[in-house]
Amino acid sequence: MIRFLTVLTFVLLSFTARSQQKVTINGYVKDAANGEELIGVGVYIPQLKAGTVTNAYGFYAITVPPGSYEIVFSYMGYTPYTYKGELTTNVSQNIEMETEAKVIQEVVVTEKRVDENVFDVQMSRNTVDLARIKKLPALFGEVDIIKNVQMLPGVVSAGEGTSAFFVRGGSADQNLILIDEAPVYDPSHLFGLFSVFNADVIKDSDLYKGGIPPRFGGRLSSILDVRTKDGNNKNFGVTGGIGTLATRVAVEGPLKKEKSSFILSGRRSYADIFLKASGEETDIYFYDINAKVNWRQSNKNRFFVAAYAGRDVLKLDDQFGFGWGNMTATFRWNHLFNDKLFSNISVIGSNFDYKLEIEDEVQGFKWTSNLQELSMKADLSYAISANNELSFGYHLTGRRFSPGEIGPNTEGSMFTELKQQHMYALDHALYIGNQQRVNDQLSFDYGVRLSIFQNMGKGYVYKYEDPQDPIGKNRTDTLHYDGWETIKSYVNLEPRVGIRYMFKEGQSLKLSYNRMVQNTHLVSASTVPVPFNTWNPSNYYLKPQIADQFAVGYFRNFKDNMFEASTEVFYKDINNVTDFADNADLFFNEDLSTEYRQGDSWAYGAEFMVNKTSGRLTGMVSYTLSKVERKIPEVNGGKTFDANYDRRNSLNIQAAYDLNPKWTFGASFTYNTGRPITLGSGKWEYGQYNPDIITERNGYRLPDFHRLDLSATLTPKKNANRRWKGQWIFAIYNVYNRKNPFTIYTRTKQDDDGNIIGDGRQKEARLVYLFPILPSVTYNFKF
Amino acid sequence: MKSITYILSAIIGAAALSGCQETVQLDLKQTPPKVVIEGQVTNHPGYQSVKISRSVDFYSSGQSPRITNATVIVTDSDGNEIEFVHNPNNHPDSAGVYIPSPSFVGEIGKTYSLRVSVGSEIFEASDKMVSVIDMDSLKYRINEDEREDPKTDGKFYELLMYAKEPQNESNFYLFKFYRNDSLTTYGDTDIYYSDDKYLAENIDGVTSPIYYAPQDKGKVEMYSLSRVGYVFFNDLSTLLNNDGGGMFGPIPSTPRTNLTNGALGFFQVSAVNSIEITVEE
Repeated sequence: MIRFLTVLTFVLLSFTARSQQKVTINGYVKDAANGEELIGVGVYIPQLKAGTVTNAYGFYAITVPPGSYEIVFSYMGYTPYTYKGELTTNVSQNIEMETEAKVIQEVVVTEKRVDENVFDVQMSRNTVDLARIKKLPALFGEVDIIKNVQMLPGVVSAGEGTSAFFVRGGSADQNLILIDEAPVYDPSHLFGLFSVFNADVIKDSDLYKGGIPPRFGGRLSSILDVRTKDGNNKNFGVTGGIGTLATRVAVEGPLKKEKSSFILSGRRSYADIFLKASGEETDIYFYDINAKVNWRQSNKNRFFVAAYAGRDVLKLDDQFGFGWGNMTATFRWNHLFNDKLFSNISVIGSNFDYKLEIEDEVQGFKWTSNLQELSMKADLSYAISANNELSFGYHLTGRRFSPGEIGPNTEGSMFTELKQQHMYALDHALYIGNQQRVNDQLSFDYGVRLSIFQNMGKGYVYKYEDPQDPIGKNRTDTLHYDGWETIKSYVNLEPRVGIRYMFKEGQSLKLSYNRMVQNTHLVSASTVPVPFNTWNPSNYYLKPQIADQFAVGYFRNFKDNMFEASTEVFYKDINNVTDFADNADLFFNEDLSTEYRQGDSWAYGAEFMVNKTSGRLTGMVSYTLSKVERKIPEVNGGKTFDANYDRRNSLNIQAAYDLNPKWTFGASFTYNTGRPITLGSGKWEYGQYNPDIITERNGYRLPDFHRLDLSATLTPKKNANRRWKGQWIFAIYNVYNRKNPFTIYTRTKQDDDGNIIGDGRQKEARLVYLFPILPSVTYNFKF
Repeated sequence: MKSITYILSAIIGAAALSGCQETVQLDLKQTPPKVVIEGQVTNHPGYQSVKISRSVDFYSSGQSPRITNATVIVTDSDGNEIEFVHNPNNHPDSAGVYIPSPSFVGEIGKTYSLRVSVGSEIFEASDKMVSVIDMDSLKYRINEDEREDPKTDGKFYELLMYAKEPQNESNFYLFKFYRNDSLTTYGDTDIYYSDDKYLAENIDGVTSPIYYAPQDKGKVEMYSLSRVGYVFFNDLSTLLNNDGGGMFGPIPSTPRTNLTNGALGFFQVSAVNSIEITVEE
C-alpha cells in the first residue's frame, strides 16, 4: 500500500512538473433556461481526442498545451455547444446549453457528439432518463425512480409494489442510496409501493453497478446517486401534479438573479382524506419535503444547503400506530483553489427512525428505534493535463444505532421499560484515483480507497460458551467499554480499476475490477427490507462484508450515437455476506450476535442493453441473464442455495413515442423469472396444528412475472401561448390483467369467508397477486 | 410481546395479502415421511402422554398415520423409569398415543428424559419442569368491537386475567384457552406464548384472545416452558403464520426442538396452573 502510494505520488508529481507550460479551461455547464448545472456533460476536444465530463456539481476543468481549440460540449437532450478559442492563459468559461427543440422530424445533428457511452472509462453505470420516464406509464401515475432502476440491466426487484432492488446478485441492503450525497436508509413509502424520491425535483440519478469510483464506498453492490434540482435562478416557477394517490407542488426561483436560487417541494398522499370522509378511523398517509437553497458567489465559491424529510404514518382504529421516516441534510461548499484544483467540502446528516405504538390500558406500549449518521467529506479533483485527472479525498462518518427502546405508554400497562444498548461506529475513508489517457485508444481509471472502521463504546459485549448457540445463549462474561473506546476495528484496502480501449471509432471495450467493503449490516431475514428493520455496525462478532467484482463490456453506438448499445459480463464474489441462522430471532434480541451467520455469495451474469436516445421514438431494451447463490454455515444445513432474489432471466422494454406536439405515448414491458420461494414438501401434526415440512431453502419458484403498461400524455395546444401549462397523463397498469405472483403461502383449507372446510387437516396453497388492471389519470401543471 | 412482531407481520401481510388471492395447485417435491413426537409431562394428573405419528404429503387428508408399536420410556432426574404404553383403553381417537402405566405426575424442579424406539431408530429428548405463576383472578367484560362484529354469533365477552409476574427470574409461558372445556384459538394457527422479558410485575386485566357467550365456562391454563420450549413454540408459530417464503417475514424453516435424530415435534415438560370462570349476562 505504502509503496503504491509512493509510486502514485511520484507519478503525479512528474505530471505536475510537466504541466507547468499548460493552460486550463474550466467552468460550469448549465441549462440555459433555468440555470441548473448539468451533471455528466461530455467535454471533448476533437483535436486532442481527449475529454472529460462535468462532475456532480456541473464543473469541468481540462488542462491542455496552449493553442487554438474547439471544445464540444454535449449532453443528452441538449443541442451540442461548441466553444472556439485561443487558449494562451487559464480561462474560466461557463457554458449554457439549450434543450433540443421538440421537433417532429428526426433530429439532424451537425456537430459531432461525444459518445459518452463508448468514450467514458466508467462502465456498469446507468442513468435514469428522467425526461423519458415522465412519458412512461407509472403505478397510480406516480413517476418513481426506483421502479425504473428496477428495470435497468443487472437489476431485479423482489416483486411489484416493492422499493427494494437487487444489483448484480447483491441483496437489497447492499445498495447505497444517496439523495444529495446523504444516505437514505429506507427508500420506501407505503411498504414499498412508492419510493421516497419525488421525480419533480430530481435533476439526475445514476446507478453505479460496477467499476465503482473510489469516492464511493460503504456498500457492496451499488450506489444510487440521486441529485435534486438547485432551483431555477432565472425565473420563478411553480410545478405540480394531481395524481390518483398523491399531490405534489414545487416552487422555485431566484433569490438573486443568476447568483442564488431556491426550490421547495412537497408531496403528500391523500387517501386518508377520503377514508376519513367515509367515517373510517384509519389514517394512512406519507409525505416528502425537499428544500434547497444555493448561493453561487462566484465560480470560486458556491454554497448549497439541501434538506429532505419524508414520513409514513399509519394509524388503525385510533389504537395501533406505526410510522417511519428519513431526514437528511447536506451542506456543500464548492471551492476552486485554483484553475485546476476543484474541491467540494460537505457536511451531511441522516436520520432514520421508526416507531410503533399500541394504545390500550393494559396492552399498551410504545416502541422506538433510530439510526443517526453524521459525516464530513472533502472531495478534490485536480485537472493535471488533458491526459490526467486526479481525484482524492477524505470522508469521516460517525453513526449511532439505537436498535430499540420499548416501554409502557399507560400507567396500567403490563409492559416494562426495556432498552437495547446503543452502538457506535466511526468510519474513516481516504481515497485517491486518477483517470489517465494513455493514447487515443487507451484510458485508465485507477485508484484505491482505504477504509478504517471502528466499532466503539460506550457499550458492552457478551462472551458466550458457544457464540453461535441461539438456543442456549450461555453468557460467560461481559466486556465493558468506555465512551470512544475501540471495541473492534477493521482496516480494508479497496482497489478500483477501469480500462477503456477504443479500438474503432464508436466502439470500445471496457474492463473493471472493484473491491467494496460494507460495515453496516441490515438485521433482516426477509427478502424485502421492511421499515422496522434495524442495522448493526461491524462489531466484535460481525465482520465486514467484502465484495470483489470483475466486469468486461463491449460498447458501441450506432447511427451517429442515436443508438447506444452495450453488453457486459460480470462476476461478483462476496466474502462474509451477512445472513442469519434458520429461525433467527431478530426482534429485540440482546443476544443477536448468536444469530449472525456469515458466509459466501457469488453471482455472475450477462447484460445486454440498447438505448435509443433521440428522435420521436426513444426507449430502451435490456436483458439480463444471471445467477446468484449463497453458501452459509448453519443456513439451509450448510448447503448452497439460490439467493432470495435470484432471477435467471429479466427482460425490460421501455418506449416513448412523440406522435405530435399534442400526444405522446409510452409503453413499458417487463418479464422476470419467478423468484425463489421456500415452501413445504409435506406436513405433520402437532396438537391441532398442521405445520409444513421445510426441507430446503428457496427450493421452489414462483411462476414467471410479466406485465405491460401503457400511457398517453396529452399536452393541449393552447399551452403554447399562455403561462399556465397543463398536461394530462392517462395510464393503464397491467394492461392484460395478469395475475402476477407476489407470493404463495399455505393455510388450512378454507372457503372464501374464512371458514375451515374439509377435515380441518387439509391444507391448500394460496397465490397472492397485487395489482389487477389499473387505470390512472394524473394532471401536471406548470406556471 | 411476540405479539408485536406478529401484529407487524399481520399488518404488512394484510397490506400485501389485501391484494387478491386464489388457490393454486403446487407441484411439490416428495419427501420421505418423518417421525413426529408430541410428548408432554406435567404436574397435573392425566396430562402425561406421548403421541407418535408420521408426516404426510402436503395434499393428503385425514389423520396422519400413527405409530403404534413404539417403545416409550420416560426417566426422571432421580433415575426412576416410567413406561408409557400404547393406548391401553383402545380408544379409537387415541391411536398412536402412549400414556404412563402406572400413571404418574411430574414434579417441579425435576428433569425428565424421553426415549422413544421406533424399530431400530431411537429418539431422545429431555426437558426440565420449572414453576409457573398463579393467576390471581379472572374477570370478564363485553368487548364492544366484537359485539358489533362477532367472529362467532353471540360470543363477545372477553376474559380479563390478573397476575403478578416475578421480575427477578426469566420465565416463559404457554397459554391455552378453553370454552366449555374445549380447547379454542381465535385463528386456527394461533399459539399463545410469552417471554417475560417485556413484562412488568403487575399484569392487571390482560384480555383473552377468544370470546365467550353468557353461560359459557371460560378456562385458562398456564404452562411453564423451558427456554428450548419457548424456542420451539416461537418457531412453530412463525412457521404456521409465515407470509410465504420470506417476502417480508423470515424464511420458513423447521422448528428447533429438543428431540434428537431428526424427529419433528417436541417433548414438553411443564408445570400447569389453571383458573376458570362462568360468564354471566
